[in-house]
Amino acid sequence: MEEHLTVRLNKAFHQKARLGIMSILMTSEEAEFNYLKEKLNLTDGNLSSHLSLLENQKYIKIKKQFVKKKPRTLCQITEKGRQAFREYLDDLEKLIRSLP
Amino acid sequence: MEQDERKEALENIELIKEMVFQTKKHLSHYGLGWISIIWGIFCLVGVAGERLLIAYVIPHGTLVGLWWLVLTIIAGFGTYLVYRRHLKTEPIKPQNSSFRYFASFWIPLFLLGFTLATFIASISSLSPRYISIVMLLIVSTAYIMLGLTFFKEILYMGIAGYASSILCAVFFLQWSDIILGAIFGLGLILTGLVVNRQWKNI
Repeated sequence: MEEHLTVRLNKAFHQKARLGIMSILMTSEEAEFNYLKEKLNLTDGNLSSHLSLLENQKYIKIKKQFVKKKPRTLCQITEKGRQAFREYLDDLEKLIRSLP
Repeated sequence: MEQDERKEALENIELIKEMVFQTKKHLSHYGLGWISIIWGIFCLVGVAGERLLIAYVIPHGTLVGLWWLVLTIIAGFGTYLVYRRHLKTEPIKPQNSSFRYFASFWIPLFLLGFTLATFIASISSLSPRYISIVMLLIVSTAYIMLGLTFFKEILYMGIAGYASSILCAVFFLQWSDIILGAIFGLGLILTGLVVNRQWKNI
């Protein structure tokens, strides 16, 4: 029996905040933690937990740097993340087309 | 149930589009204000130098072409420095492919400009004043293309530049450099100042 399309959607992305994170990272080389926090209107803790989930799945990489003695957290999408997000977009499109 | 799924899927697509658009807009601002100001000064200085060369030094196009080439290299280097500074300080970096896209957009345009300028310079019956008209038509084309994608201010600047270049070529060729230099130079500097002010609100 064919799996329902909603079930097939990657749950790591099927959430507004993570969808936003992935969309920004797909379009850029890397983005700072504070930029993501501001654009997605999230708290530090909230964003951290979403980033950790994506990092655990190896969809993104998180780097910590010091610029002029100030800490800087940078997020970058991985090739696996890019591929998985493209598949998610395909599934999302198929879902929309399949529904009346 | 299906209606809810569809609604959620459509909302997700909208969110993705919005985030991609905002990110691209942010990235396209990368030093754009200062870059506009640099190219505004390029127009003012370029046209002033061209007029001086034609009036006092040598009344044909070779030196004028060289003058624009040197200025383009200086302005191009300034553009690169602004871009590099933003790469270090901005909270978001463009994909490496963006720079290739940028280069593949501007370099052919300037090559086209210099080919046409050289062609005009080599024809003695053509006034060298057409060189600045050609250069400014090419810059206008670039601004129309960028304006259609991102910023209305630049689109209007491109349309105004295109129309004024053609009008000058047809009706005011003798004064075309002064008129176009003022329109482009001051227009670009003004655009740069507006973009820099908007940049703070992004």
